[in-house]
Amino acid sequence: MNISTDPWVWIAAILTLAVFSFLYRENPFYRFAEHLFVGVSNGYAITFTWHRILVPYLLNPVGHGQKLWLIPIAIVGALYFTRFIPKVSWMVRFPIAIVLGYSAGASIPRSIAATVIEQLKATIITRASFADVQQGIWAVIILIGVICTITYFFFSTERKGALKPVSYVGVIFIMVGFGASFGYTVMARISLFIGRLQFLLGDWLGLIR
Amino acid sequence: MKRQLPLLIVLVVGIFGAAAFLIPHPMVRSVDEVFRNDVLRIIAAFSLVLGIGSILRHHFMKIKRKAEHWPFSYITVVALFVSAVIGLFGGIDPARPGILPTHIGGFSFHIQTLYTNIMIPLAATMFALLAFFMASAAYRAFRARNFEATLLLVAAFILMLGAVPLTRIIIPPLPDFAEWILAVPNTAAKRGISFGISLGMFATSLKILLGIERGWLGGGGS
Amino acid sequence: MTAPDAVRNGFWDRLQRIDRRWIYLVIWLVVMIPLLLPFSIKPKAMPPVEKLFNYIDTMPEDKALVISVDYTPDTQAELHPMAIALLRHAFATHRRVGVLATAVYGLGLGEEALRQVAAEFNEKAVSHEDSVISGEDYVFWGWSTPFLTVMLGMGEKITNVFPVDYYGVATESLPITPRIKNYNDIGIVMSIAGSSTPLSWVTYAQTQFGVRIGCGTTAVSAADYYTYLNSGQFTGMLAGMRGAAEYEQLLEDKLTAAGSSLALRYKATEAMSSQTAAHIAIIVFIIFGNIGYFVTRRRKS
Repeated sequence: MNISTDPWVWIAAILTLAVFSFLYRENPFYRFAEHLFVGVSNGYAITFTWHRILVPYLLNPVGHGQKLWLIPIAIVGALYFTRFIPKVSWMVRFPIAIVLGYSAGASIPRSIAATVIEQLKATIITRASFADVQQGIWAVIILIGVICTITYFFFSTERKGALKPVSYVGVIFIMVGFGASFGYTVMARISLFIGRLQFLLGDWLGLIR
Repeated sequence: MKRQLPLLIVLVVGIFGAAAFLIPHPMVRSVDEVFRNDVLRIIAAFSLVLGIGSILRHHFMKIKRKAEHWPFSYITVVALFVSAVIGLFGGIDPARPGILPTHIGGFSFHIQTLYTNIMIPLAATMFALLAFFMASAAYRAFRARNFEATLLLVAAFILMLGAVPLTRIIIPPLPDFAEWILAVPNTAAKRGISFGISLGMFATSLKILLGIERGWLGGGGS
Repeated sequence: MTAPDAVRNGFWDRLQRIDRRWIYLVIWLVVMIPLLLPFSIKPKAMPPVEKLFNYIDTMPEDKALVISVDYTPDTQAELHPMAIALLRHAFATHRRVGVLATAVYGLGLGEEALRQVAAEFNEKAVSHEDSVISGEDYVFWGWSTPFLTVMLGMGEKITNVFPVDYYGVATESLPITPRIKNYNDIGIVMSIAGSSTPLSWVTYAQTQFGVRIGCGTTAVSAADYYTYLNSGQFTGMLAGMRGAAEYEQLLEDKLTAAGSSLALRYKATEAMSSQTAAHIAIIVFIIFGNIGYFVTRRRKS
């Protein structure tokens, strides 16, 4: 055993155990840790927003007499503060409109290209798909699965006739897909806990070399 | 005006955002670059105000009304101000300190130290709790009530076993079969679902641009 | 004891109503014991990891590796080993590296990964060529917002997006900058994320500029991203801690074959024995839960 003598490692370990104490039951130590986290993480965000956005992109150029047109832009950004002044809180819509509008507009053509057209191209079977016969068979299964899955989510008409078995095949594919997601989710959650134990047993108590 | 003008801004800026992708003309591209790098960046930076302001308002109200667990709100407020002061005046790189000293002897309280020894342990541990909740939920709620649920369970078992190296020794074909499940039936299902999600997001973005979706305006102001 | 009491107090009934804290204790022990008494089994890399490794390994020498630290402290257990493994691979093969963060809470993790790996290499360096120097061999651009400003701006001129690096140094003055001007100088952007940021890289950076995107993601999202692997939009993918362990193993094998092992701690590989035990425990829980459910249901009916 090689217990750490760094006071910060001890602080980190105590905070880790304070959060884990929630597993037994909710208690003041957990609540303290929770509130501390909220405070420090927001202080961190303020720090970097100031030092790495506002100072280099606004204050420095304007302070040197360059890009003075940024001043009205900063005023528009400062309208976010009006959210907390009831009489003029409607003015917060202006900066939100600019950010939201550009984000929505920029995403429309690009996400259609990336998430619809490219994915459609990957689903369609051509002669080239059978360059490797095995990969070609899997491509056929994927095509069938995609069509059946989309059919399952078509609720505008009653499921009868040919639609019923096709939807059911879609359900099969969806269940396998969700099972795969659940299996991997188990791995993900366990990994997060392993990470904390590696810290407690390794960095703090020195039991893992 | 209080609603019409923001809706007009969304439409104009949105069309510009889409046009910048579709029109390769250098003038359009250079205006787009300036808009992104200067205008959008500064306005987006100020959006932090909303989050910080909401948190402070929430906790000040809790303290004022002496709501349940109100003393802990002091911890949030004090921690926020102390860490912000340390970060703003102490600098963000220990090698290039600011005007505020961030160490006493060998004990550092630099913003990076707070990040490494407070933020990382707390955030990581809060998410690590999910491992336990997931295990408890799996034991209590995961029931093979019908064929579909059993299929989901079997697929999950195959993936869980296929994900660990030991399985390759005990059941050699299992990891490759698990990989096949991910690469073929899982891909088919997720692609079908993602088509729906993508088209839904496209419709929502279009509704926002055209002013049909107005939830972001909030209440008040005519 | 009456018949209904016998049904309610039977073994399976009590097991169904067990206090969840016993389940928590079992999980704690099942994960902790293999960490203290590990049984090491080398992971074998799956095709998505192999594809990614081989691409980075055989990238043209004039192309840089860019790592986007899109993860935050809550998912660092799964994703931080990926960043470390990628940096080790890049520095071992003398590639130029650019690191950035699209989430402000990922900045500290990016800085920590660079500091750790640079120190590992510099401790063993015998010449300037072996050293890893900030501004020459790698650049830490830092963070900017919003993310589409970064993703689109890097296609034109990176120094317009990041005029100063994380440390406040003007990026135009760095020796590495003329060799990483925009995506044309970048072989692949590795987005390591616990969210949907890799898809944003595909949507904005790849769609407009054609840059290759690789993905390191939590296992929660990995199953969803196979559609993008299948379409070729992701060059390769590291899925969770297992993906990180497989990449670590590929790197160790490559360096051992070249006669120069790094002999470093591989956290993801160390975790595999605990991962194995925990998965088996969860499967046993589910089986026992179902047996109990069917037994008690049959008794009640």
